[in-house]
Amino acid sequence: MWKWIQKLASPKVFYETTNKLIPWFFWPFIVLIIIGLYWGLVLAPADYQQGESFRIIYIHVPSAWMSMLVYFIMAVAGGIGLIWQIKMAEVVAKVSAPIGATFTLIALITGAVWGKPMWGTWWVWDARLTSELILLFLYLAYISLNNAFDNPKTAAKASSILAIVGLVNLPIIHYSVKWWSTLHQGSMFNDISNPSMHPDMLWPLFIMVFAFQFLYGVLALVSARDEVLVREQNSRWVRSIVMEEQS
Amino acid sequence: MSLAETLSFLPYGQYALYIWLSYGLTFILILGLFVRASINYKKIRIQLKNKYAREND
Repeated sequence: MWKWIQKLASPKVFYETTNKLIPWFFWPFIVLIIIGLYWGLVLAPADYQQGESFRIIYIHVPSAWMSMLVYFIMAVAGGIGLIWQIKMAEVVAKVSAPIGATFTLIALITGAVWGKPMWGTWWVWDARLTSELILLFLYLAYISLNNAFDNPKTAAKASSILAIVGLVNLPIIHYSVKWWSTLHQGSMFNDISNPSMHPDMLWPLFIMVFAFQFLYGVLALVSARDEVLVREQNSRWVRSIVMEEQS
Repeated sequence: MSLAETLSFLPYGQYALYIWLSYGLTFILILGLFVRASINYKKIRIQLKNKYAREND
């Protein structure tokens, strides 16, 4: 395992691996998103309290979940880059930020749109909503800091420290509905063996969560592959790849 | 008559506006990520080709 990680730390191997992995993430994403959307929008029954509006859950929950998962990946990858000086970890952290920021934005927008018919308002300064908004600001700060330096090493160092410090926000988001009295509904998975949703509604949600994970995989791999080319542009192997593509 | 009522002829009735707005905006944002990745892919390769061509001259 350690040998494989060391091998993957080589930019050339990393580039080749990302290239090979892209279709393995893209096609499962396409299949899962089609099944998830059809099941969630057509087959799943309407909620007894929220009616049809509950169908927003199939994009709101997966994007909110991914906003936290991607941030965790970004901070861990940043930490690995910081401690072990693995350049490819810095690449993973950098390319994850815009994707995670988009998931956070989707979670906030769909939450606001869902809130309007259910709560009668687009926005409240509720603990869950506010902590999720702070997560978006953390992503934007990370992206700004990463772009503020010409030297990628310095940029990675500064932004990784910010990402690690920002990790403290993740448990706040997760437990905000328990710690504070909020308008946002509580967790559906307090007891995984006895979820508060009917399986007909729950399965499409799981499928959409997996679809969003594969979506992140595709986008991160594509961006990481390009980022490696830029960083290693003075290497002979990058030159030969680019020139081969030209001919 | 509110916008939600005007659009209630769409699937999901009185909630049609909210559901389609959520899914539509999500689609646009995700499409944006793919478009950005595709533009970057082309831009980086053109930049590198030009750089190597200049070095070869």
